[in-house]
Amino acid sequence: MNETQNNLGAYLKLHWKTAVFLVVLLIGIGLADIFVDSYMRRLLNLCAIYVIVSLAMNLVNGFTGQFSLGQAGFMAIGAYTVAIFTVPVESRAAIFYLEPMAPFLANIQLPFVVALILGGLASVVVAFFIGSPCLRLRGDYLAIATLGFSEIIRIIFTNTQSITNGALGIKSIPTISSLWWTYGTALLVIIATILLVYSSYGRAFKAIREDEIAAEAMGVGLFKTKMTSFLIGAFFTGIGGGLFAALLGTVDPKQFYFTLTYNFLLIIVLGGMGSISGTIIASFLVTLGQEALRFLDEPMAFGLDLPIFRPGLRMVVFSFLLMIIVLFYRKGLMGTNELTWDFMAQKFQSIKKKLSRKKTSTEGGGK
Amino acid sequence: MKKPLSVLLSLALVVTMAAGCSSGTTTSSGDSDVIKIGVFEPLTGANAAGGELEVEGVELANKLRPEVLGKKVELVIADNKSDKAEATTAAARLIEKDKVVAILGSWGSSLSIAAGDVVKTNQIPAVALSATNPQVTAGNDYYFRVCFLDPFQGTVMANYASKKLNAKKVAIIQEVSNDYSVGLAKFFTDSFVKLTGDPNAIVATGNYNTGDQDFNGILTNIKAANPDAIFAPGNFTESALIIKQARALGITAPFIGGDTWETNEFITVGGADVEGAVMSTFFDDTNPLTEAGKTFVAEYKKAYPDRENIAAVTALGYDGYMMTLDAIERAGSADPVAIRDALAATKDFEGATGMITIDANGDATKNEAIIKTVKDGKFTYMDSVTID
Repeated sequence: MNETQNNLGAYLKLHWKTAVFLVVLLIGIGLADIFVDSYMRRLLNLCAIYVIVSLAMNLVNGFTGQFSLGQAGFMAIGAYTVAIFTVPVESRAAIFYLEPMAPFLANIQLPFVVALILGGLASVVVAFFIGSPCLRLRGDYLAIATLGFSEIIRIIFTNTQSITNGALGIKSIPTISSLWWTYGTALLVIIATILLVYSSYGRAFKAIREDEIAAEAMGVGLFKTKMTSFLIGAFFTGIGGGLFAALLGTVDPKQFYFTLTYNFLLIIVLGGMGSISGTIIASFLVTLGQEALRFLDEPMAFGLDLPIFRPGLRMVVFSFLLMIIVLFYRKGLMGTNELTWDFMAQKFQSIKKKLSRKKTSTEGGGK
Repeated sequence: MKKPLSVLLSLALVVTMAAGCSSGTTTSSGDSDVIKIGVFEPLTGANAAGGELEVEGVELANKLRPEVLGKKVELVIADNKSDKAEATTAAARLIEKDKVVAILGSWGSSLSIAAGDVVKTNQIPAVALSATNPQVTAGNDYYFRVCFLDPFQGTVMANYASKKLNAKKVAIIQEVSNDYSVGLAKFFTDSFVKLTGDPNAIVATGNYNTGDQDFNGILTNIKAANPDAIFAPGNFTESALIIKQARALGITAPFIGGDTWETNEFITVGGADVEGAVMSTFFDDTNPLTEAGKTFVAEYKKAYPDRENIAAVTALGYDGYMMTLDAIERAGSADPVAIRDALAATKDFEGATGMITIDANGDATKNEAIIKTVKDGKFTYMDSVTID
């Protein structure tokens, strides 16, 4: 017992900054949950959901090097599972007014957590069937298959009127407004990803990313390892989709066009393929950035009426800013680095050094 | 050399973001002699064309009636990017940052449904302008609408097909990924079967997806069933293509559809083949139903002299604004809950698209629809149908 205490003490001594940071973060979320208005709350919730799905995508695309584009499809599965199982039974007749809900589903109502996990598991099952042929191959096949899959899922959901209510979508999903659901899940996903990436599995993922042949020669089971990564990614994405449905309170197939996937692709490329902290930073940057630029859509208050300040301008500016970032940070904001304390200290040191060097050089020039 | 520049640029990014936040906070401290009304529409993305037409109507109405209760009415326009997640944040932003007392919009029922939860929990009344899906107002005390519903439109066209065209057998082509089209087809089927008393009156049904180009498969089936008329509610481009391909296959049965057909693209895509296509709509600019309608047409022509015809959704935008202002006046205050109660009590309000009475669901009870047809490459008034 004494020994475990000692271990804990040593661990805390080593990671006290992280521990303090976590505590501050939790208090911050708690405070935000009490004081933030519903607009900011919605945005912050959306950020957390984007963190979850982007991290899942980065696990497959960034860490394992398998180009998967099925995020919209897996999210749809998670979202619809939550929608179908959490809508109150009494309001179902009003929602399924064109065609009644299939009798075997009509009276099943599950608690939110159960439906959420069920959605994740449903995604895993589907991912297994897509992965088993595609992950045996090398190259672009996975990208093509997953892209096709997410379109197929959308079309299936459009046509299964008695289960998903087709194009009409499902509304009146009990909503979550507390930040704890999304941030709690996001934290769990972040911790799970960190633990996974630095475990032996994570090293196997990275080995596959770097060179499949070399990895195989070292004894890494290619198919099994890729599958593990793909299934875990699908699970988290399904959960993210479920939270998304509960945040909006409504789902319909049009939400899950493959363009939704590009949002997450944008985030992981911007943050850095293979960087957890980069993904988190980029999720917040993209979600909050688009909203912060909204003032560009409104007519300017300068007095003169410039015609360029009209709806749509913010997207132009946003794309321009993205282009600049990608030009200067070709590997994303973080590359494959992580925002650790050491990394920050190093950056700080190098900036300090650069500044002092500049100072001496200008002094030298003066003489 | 590159590093300092990149740092500078990221700084610029941060500054613009900060500027965005700060500009948001300054508008929230609005003074009390202004009443803010939010307009929440898709101004970019797939539905931008529809959203813009509605905003035109709202802005025109705002120009004509800029004041209520002695206070200036300010419109706050928010773009929802034709995206559901964006729709909820845009609505929440209007309520929290801009402190609007009422919201108008949005084009597209699913966007309105997504925002429904936000307006309900924040207790801000919202008026849907052209969202025809019953689910927009169902179970939501804070959502109202000025247009008619899918069931009504379906009934109108079923009556038209059965009484005016003397059709006994009808084929349906629906855009299965579009809630509007699926709803309309269903309600058409129900009332047509009732009118003819024949449970097999619908002889064929074809499904297609938004963006499809080739409809020959569906049309060959329909040709074999030999219907008297074809009901094909759906997006204008696809519908025009369907009619074109049907004529090429030698199908001569008349095509009937819903209000979405009434766009110039329908005629440019369909060309001579869409001549004689019949649709129901909310409004006709050559034949306004009310005095308010005449005023609206005159003012619109003054404001946009180069437009050929006036879209029905623009008239609905006008009505939505005018009805909301009327409610604020009757409420006697700009308190959102008082406005909601006044909106719910709206009775015989004279709008440009007809007399509006709000029922218990928050829907406008309208019993008059307009039937238009394409004649010489133009939408022409044909008939108005009253159903009780």
